[in-house]
Amino acid sequence: MTIIQLENVIKTYRVGAVATRALNGITLDFQAGEFTALVGPSGSGKTTLLQIIGCLDRPDSGAVRINGQDVTRLNANQRADLRREKIGFIFQFFALVPVLNAYENVELPLLLSGVPAAERRQRVLALLESVGLSDRLHHRPDQMSGGEQQRVAIARALAPRPLLVLADEPTANLDTANGRQAMEIMKKLNEQTGTAFIFATHDPRVMAFARRVVKLQDGRVVDDGNGQRI
Amino acid sequence: MALSKLWTIAFRDLGRNRRRSLLTLIAVALGLALLMVVHGLVAGTMEDTMQNTIRLETGHVQLRAPTYEQGKISLQWKDLLENADALAVRARSLPEVKAASPVLWAGGVLNTGDESAGVRIYGVDVASAVHEPIRQGMVAGAYLAPDDRNSILIGKHLADSLGLAVGARVGLVVVSGDGQPIEGVFAIRGIFATGVPAYDDTAVFMTLDKAQAFTNTAGRASAIVILLHRQDDADKVAASLRGEGVAAFTWRQMNEVFLQTMQSAMGYYVIMDLVVMLVVAVIIANTLLMAVFERIREMGILAALGMKGRQIMAMFLLEAATLGLLGIAIGIVLGSLGVAYMTRNGLYIGDMSSAASGLAIGTAMYARFDPPTFAGLAFWTLIIVLLAALYPAWFAARQEPVDALRAL
Repeated sequence: MTIIQLENVIKTYRVGAVATRALNGITLDFQAGEFTALVGPSGSGKTTLLQIIGCLDRPDSGAVRINGQDVTRLNANQRADLRREKIGFIFQFFALVPVLNAYENVELPLLLSGVPAAERRQRVLALLESVGLSDRLHHRPDQMSGGEQQRVAIARALAPRPLLVLADEPTANLDTANGRQAMEIMKKLNEQTGTAFIFATHDPRVMAFARRVVKLQDGRVVDDGNGQRI
Repeated sequence: MALSKLWTIAFRDLGRNRRRSLLTLIAVALGLALLMVVHGLVAGTMEDTMQNTIRLETGHVQLRAPTYEQGKISLQWKDLLENADALAVRARSLPEVKAASPVLWAGGVLNTGDESAGVRIYGVDVASAVHEPIRQGMVAGAYLAPDDRNSILIGKHLADSLGLAVGARVGLVVVSGDGQPIEGVFAIRGIFATGVPAYDDTAVFMTLDKAQAFTNTAGRASAIVILLHRQDDADKVAASLRGEGVAAFTWRQMNEVFLQTMQSAMGYYVIMDLVVMLVVAVIIANTLLMAVFERIREMGILAALGMKGRQIMAMFLLEAATLGLLGIAIGIVLGSLGVAYMTRNGLYIGDMSSAASGLAIGTAMYARFDPPTFAGLAFWTLIIVLLAALYPAWFAARQEPVDALRAL
């Protein structure tokens, strides 16, 4: 089932008089349960594409449909609702709320969604167990390693049971072992939950986990296919 | 999202930069405490001045001839009460009345031979409780006896400024109702101190009989001064004693100018309140703006998680409210301590204020607890804190998620 449809998406950034076209007519589909890597050099448009799919930004032109709904016409509050219900995010710098502990960080999107307390607790504990952090529930981000923080971020992204999770360079700040562990967890959860994952990376070790790899260059799709082939 | 979680985040955020939060908290607390002490002093001074005026000068109710003007101290017979004793007896028969006594006032000059000073002569029934403050304020010599014919009492300030002591003889000059100057020589029987320099500087007491004889007023009085058990009964007592040839005035009517002046003065205190609160507001706004700039990326993360602008705004307003409420709580404690100290020890001002204004202000200003005013100050401090937080909160809320995350 197609969950994301992009049609001729164009996005241009302007800095003063200089215009840079970050996305130059992207047309792509993503299916439910996919585990997709967006690859390409810096400036190829990976992060911009993730932000547009994640309703954090809007394209200049073209259509972006999530579950058939054109999201380019939604206002700020509608986009916030959509993100809360359907999209999880994992960032390069872990991006946990520093004043909340691991449990509270994972609980936060469920609070935003109004999930009842008992179910909230059960889901948070299950997710933290699945990322191997049952013993770190009450640790705040500054009391955890980078790898642990990223695992909390993965649990948080999956807490609302989203349609897809968008991850921007999720292993860029992790050492090899922690990076591998994070990818293995994401892969496992992808298989267990059926949540689609789209992650931007230029790390060949990360690409190896992807079933599908979309290669971008200068804001265009230059290859799209099986991860092993690319 | 549960408000309690937003509050939790807001409260914990305050702990990120404890020194900054503490300094902001102190600014709110000191601002409120300062306003409480100043308003406590103003309320105390107003009340004390009013009570001094009632106690020493006007009483709660005065009966006067309709033509008598308070400021002129006329000795013309048409302006004086003829049946003063009967009126005083009638007033004393009312259950609300504590004491009532005829008084004759006259303006005059006191001469020592070397120096002279303008004075206000009080001819009084020395046995009446109306003049108890003078009897209790005696600091040298003795109080007047009912049959004293050639003695006077003067205030300590006047005695000190003219170098007079008990037993000294002085000349008094008044102008009678028909315009004739009248002179007399009196011995100083006693010196009193009421604690109100303006009063102790000008008041000269003698018996009513002697004053009436000295000023050729033939048994007449300027007024009947009435003290009540409860000052709230003034209107009722004045209404029941008002009649043909007798005007009755309450303490409120007699001190209308003073009360209006104090009302006007309150306008200046409102300006001071605004200045102090504005300073607090700037500090709060600065603290929160810095917090917003420091946490701009987090705003992007929260927005990515689906938090709406109004929830981000609410989080910062809760942060401001927490700072404000904690600051207000500390401010109330500090302010109450300050007011308590000023209530007990006062602020010494000497006789500067009374000399300048002629008001019955004592030598020290004492504060009063004024709970409604203090509650109002606390309420407005919180409102100002929240208003000051609006811009930083709005600024945080209007950030585009993608712009906020770009800092990542």
